Formats: sequence, structure tokens, C-alpha cells
Amino acid sequence: MTAVTDDGHADPVPVDPPSDYVDLYENAPCGYVVTSFDGTITSVNETFTRMVGYSRSDLIGRNFQSLLTVGSQLFHETRFLPVLHLRKRVDEIALKLRCADDSTLPTLVNGVQSGVSGEVRIALFDSTERTDYEQELLAARRAAEISEAQVGILQRASTAFTLADTEAALTAALAESVREAFAASFTAILLYDDHGVLQLATGTHPLLEYIQAGWDTPSTRAVDRNDVVIVGSLEEAEKEFPKLAPVYRANQLEACIASPLTDKGKAVGVISSFFRRKRDFDPALLELLATLTQQASHVLARIRLQSQLARMALHDLLTGLANRQLLQARLDQAIAAAERSGRPLAVIFLDLDGFKVVNDSCGHAVGDSVLQQVADRLRASVRSADTIGRYGGDEFVVICEDSDADAVSHVADRILAAVKEPLVDVPDEYPVSASIGVALLVPEANPSVTTDGMLGLADAAMYQSKNAGKDRVTVVLV
Amino acid sequence: MSTGQLSAVRQRNNVTVSGNPAGRPLVFAHGFGCSSEMWHLVAPRFEEDYLVVTFDHVGAGASDLDAYDRGKYDSLHGYADDILEILDDLDLTDVVFVGHSVSAMMGVLAATRQPGRFGALVLVGPSPRYVNTDAYTGGFEQDDIDSLLDALDANYLGWSEAMAPVIMGNPTQPQLGESLTASFCSTDPTIARHFARVTFLSDNRRDLPLVTTPTLVVQCKEDVIAPLPVGQYVHESIPNSTLVVLDATGHCPNLSAPDELTAEIQAFLR
Repeated sequence: MTAVTDDGHADPVPVDPPSDYVDLYENAPCGYVVTSFDGTITSVNETFTRMVGYSRSDLIGRNFQSLLTVGSQLFHETRFLPVLHLRKRVDEIALKLRCADDSTLPTLVNGVQSGVSGEVRIALFDSTERTDYEQELLAARRAAEISEAQVGILQRASTAFTLADTEAALTAALAESVREAFAASFTAILLYDDHGVLQLATGTHPLLEYIQAGWDTPSTRAVDRNDVVIVGSLEEAEKEFPKLAPVYRANQLEACIASPLTDKGKAVGVISSFFRRKRDFDPALLELLATLTQQASHVLARIRLQSQLARMALHDLLTGLANRQLLQARLDQAIAAAERSGRPLAVIFLDLDGFKVVNDSCGHAVGDSVLQQVADRLRASVRSADTIGRYGGDEFVVICEDSDADAVSHVADRILAAVKEPLVDVPDEYPVSASIGVALLVPEANPSVTTDGMLGLADAAMYQSKNAGKDRVTVVLV
Repeated sequence: MSTGQLSAVRQRNNVTVSGNPAGRPLVFAHGFGCSSEMWHLVAPRFEEDYLVVTFDHVGAGASDLDAYDRGKYDSLHGYADDILEILDDLDLTDVVFVGHSVSAMMGVLAATRQPGRFGALVLVGPSPRYVNTDAYTGGFEQDDIDSLLDALDANYLGWSEAMAPVIMGNPTQPQLGESLTASFCSTDPTIARHFARVTFLSDNRRDLPLVTTPTLVVQCKEDVIAPLPVGQYVHESIPNSTLVVLDATGHCPNLSAPDELTAEIQAFLR
């Protein structure tokens, strides 16, 4: 008893209904509702009144949507209705009814919209059992997915941490893991430099300039307190960091979480994530952050130890200056750079006068102290870009890039004067001074020289100073 | 508009351009829950006079799902960035931006960032904040938003198996092309959850007074998602704005009352 309309829907034809037709409709094993185009209920069957616990007269004239829980209303409005309007039918949508006794009833809903009048016919099936089962399943699946995702992040992070052999690689891996875990808009890592100033190691830190200007920020508070600092919303930012709140606004930031990186319990840096909306952080996520920062902190300590060891292999243990190996490498680079740029390059070769006597008379400890004091004086006498090294015994070398005869003479004279100053622990009867040789390379005059050649010339010039009466400078052109 | 390779931005956001190439640009943005299909009863009506642009937000419709970066799309700012990139890519100015639902706030954010690009904003069913606070009535409690997430879960369980055929197969409407049906209102469940959170937990009340673009606020007389007082709040907070209340009910007048909505937009732009 059906006719197929233009739009392909089967509509009942009310011709000669059998006597039980009304009963068939009223007591069908599903709720049946007809609404106008705008959702106003025009007809319901008996089953539906029993499902929701309202009488027919309560229901007629009401908007169908008002019978749904709020969550279902939102879903009805953002999905059910758009699909109904666009496709003229919706199938198997899960919606929860809000019943007269305030209980809720999960249903599966099919809807059909008539092409002509826009009238909507809705069938609702009680899906309590299925929903209960599904919700358990879903809760289990959701929990499994979340922990799987977090384990995945942790595993990938662990691998990346293990492979990281530089601070840059480690901080990049940590920042990426945390950004992924938190879905953060920005994640940045700051590490203290040798002067105790926080410097950007990786990522984008929208508040960096304020940190370096000494402002109180979540990141600085995290290192100061050596604890995680959470700012969940703009309101919290206004309360906790009133001076910073306008900066938050200007940078479209709302929330932030900052966690210190530590070495032997001391904060050495901070990882900060920023969010452009209000955020809550669940305990599992905070635990993941703690694990990631802890692991990364261990690896950071390892990398720093390794780089310290590498540094020791290239530096003189007593004075901390470059050793011969590093000096030679630096000079290789400097000669290549000078030849490329055409700028002059000078090498200062220095041998102490009177050191052997001090060492023999006052003991090795005083000798060591003299070498350390001379090293400090060299550091104070050269230009910041110059490289100083201990070449051996009481011999020192300074590489002065981009330095003509005038400039290097100034440096050499300053060294000469500095070394002559009285030394701690050395009696006045043992004077110490320096014999200095300078080899000056002017690339356009003599474009090609080797590292050994240049050091040899500077050494020879030093001997000229020594032979001419010590405590003086001899300059030779390469 | 080049005829060759589509730009990365246009591919990412499934941007379509139609209508009068010499006309004023009119950009339609869809809200939570569906795709640019939401505008298919309205956008064509502007094609004679306007350069009509529609697009899908990343994560919706036929956008590039691989471009869904959770950090970027964790706030409406990420979507606003995309809108500005689309306008930049198409080199549009004096843009009329028509944003439905949550896209209205994305339009507000984009227009306050680069006011020079925009000539007018049309906000259809806007809400700057859905959750009530002490001093503000958005219409929802936090629990309600959780209950929406439950509703999403209930509907997307086994989504790929159960929903996909429903979305793909539409024997009653053969006029919808195959490529279109494939993307029709389809949503990746994980993205849908995240987008729902970002949509319903955002607070953009402070951005409204910063709008300098002439703005039309379009409100339905009954709308559970953006009730009338919210529309009035938006209108009162945006300087130089006009409020019209449609006789239609519900949150999607672009589908339920396309004639009325079209007429109001045309009247505003006249």
C-alpha cells in the first residue's frame, strides 16, 4: 500500500485502511513523530508518548528539538538538520531524549523530509541496550587510544632523545614531543647560558624579549620555583601576571604551561607551551610532561658532560686555553678565511722569559700558577674574537684575524706590558717577561701559506726577540 | 585566477571561486558540523554580481586532512590565519566575509588582524562564548559541552564502517556529483571532537569591540545554539553593526531560510 513520489520516497497511501491500521501506527515498536518544516510537532504515535512520558496534547505544538538533551540539541542542530535539509533524509543518528520524569532515553533516529511541504517524519528506536554497551566500549576505546597516543609520543621521544648528540637535537626533539602531546600553538625551550641568562634553544617563545628584560613570566617563575607553572586562561594571566596580560592579548595568547629542565635538581632551563584558548590539563597529560622533561633533563646532562669532555680534549687543562691541536685547526680556518676575504691575518708567538728559573726555584705549583696568571692576562689583552692557545711549556700563541700591522702591534704591546706586571706568589728577584714574534699575512702580497709555515715564521721572529735581549716584539711579513 | 596548478592554500582549504570575476569578493565560511555545502542554497544567488568564494576549513569537507595540525587548529586564530591566507592567495580586497556560526568569530579575528582586507562582515548566528559565566549568558554550561562530545562519540562510533556509506550513498539526490558526495558533511571523528572543543570552549568577547569593519549580525528568532540575547550582545559590542532577526528558527538559516537570508545580505550590501 505505498506510492513512490517524485523524490523517490515511499509515502503511505491512506486508501481503505484495514481496521487495525490505526493500531499498527499507534503501537508500532518505534516512536513516530511528524513535524512541520521548522520542527514544530504536528503528530505523534502512542509509542512515542510512552517513550518520553508526555501526553499527546503536551507534545503537539512543541518543538521536537526541545525534547532532546542539550548535547543532542547541539548535534541535532549542527548535523541532523543540515544533513536533513541537504539530503532530505537522515539515517541512524543517535540522539538522547529528555523524558518527562527527567530521565534520558537514548534513541536511534531516522528522518525524512518531504520535498513539497518540508514536513519531517521521524522514527525513533529505543537504543538503551546498544548504547550502554557502546558507551562501555567507547570509554574503553577512548582510554586505550589516549594511552596509546601518549605511549607513542613517549616512545618516539625516547628514541629521539637517545639519538640526540647535541643540545640542539635534544631540545628540538623534546619541544616537538611536548607540542604534539599538548596540541600547543607554540612550544619553546630556554636554557641558561654561562652568564645565567635564559637564551632560546629551540622553538618560538612569544615572551622572550620580556623575559630578557627581567619581567615576571610563567617561564621565569617555573625556573625560579623549580616547579611547573600553569596559567589556564586569560583571567588567570591577569590575576597572576597583571603586567604581562596586555602582552598576552597582543600576541593572542590565553594559556601557558611552563616546566623546568633540571640538572642534579637545579633548574637549567625551561620548556614552555602556549595556547591561544583557555585550556585544562588533565593529570595524565601532566604526568607525560613530567616524564618527558625528566628524561630530557637526564639526556641534557649527558650531552653537556660529553661536550665538556670534548672540550677538555681540545683545551689545555691547566689554563683552559686552546691546546696545540685546536690552535692548528683554528689557524687552518683562519688562513682559508683570510685568503677568501683578502683581509690580513696575524699570529703572535710568545715565549716567557725567566719562567724556567721561577719553576726551578719556587716549585712547580708556583710555575703552574704563573702559567694560569699569564693566561688570564692574555685573555684581558687580546680582542674578543682572537683565539689564544698554549702551544707547549711556556709558549703561547694568539691568532688575530682581520688584523693589520698596527692592530697586532697594539695587541702585542699590551701583552708585553701585562706579562711584566708583578705576579702573585713570585718574588721580585725572579722577573718574568715575554719575547714575542709576530707573523703577519697580507693575502694580496703573499696569497699562499701553510699553518706550519706561518707558525714557523712567528716562532723564528720570537727567537729574534729573545736573541735581541728579550721583552720585545719582532714582526715579520709572511 | 590561474588556470594551472592550484596553489597549496587553495588545495588545502578546497577553495572554489565562481561568479562575476569583476564583482566584489564575497567569501562564505561554514561552521561546525558540516562543510562549504552549507552555503549551496545561498552562494549561487550572488554569482551574477559578486566574485563568490567558498572553502572548507581544514578538517572538514574536501580539505586536506593531512594539513590538520592540532597545535595550529587548537584555537580559532589558526582558522583565522587560513582565512587571511586564502584572501592573500586570491589577492582579494574589500572582501565581504559571510561567516556562519563559529566562522563568524573567525571572521572577527581575521578582520581585526587585517582590517584593510575587509569591506564588510556578515555574521550569521554568531556567538562569542557558548559557556555561561557569572556575568554572561552564552546559553550552555560546561556539562552541556561534555554532553555534545558524548553525542559526537555516540554518532561517530564505528564511523568509518557505518557512517561512510550513509554519507556516500544518496540515491534520492543524483544531482549531487560523486566527488561532492564523497566529502559531503563527512567528518573525521577525532577532528570533530577537537573542533567541537575549540568551537564551544572559545571566548572571543574581547575581540568584538576591536572590529572596525561594517558588520551585519544575522540572528534567527529562535536558535538554541546562539540565542537572541547573544546576537544582541554581539551587535552591541561591535561598533557600527546592524542586527537583523530572521523570522526563521534554528541555527542554519542558510539551509532553512535561504531566501530570507539572501535578501538580508543583499539589502545590507546595497
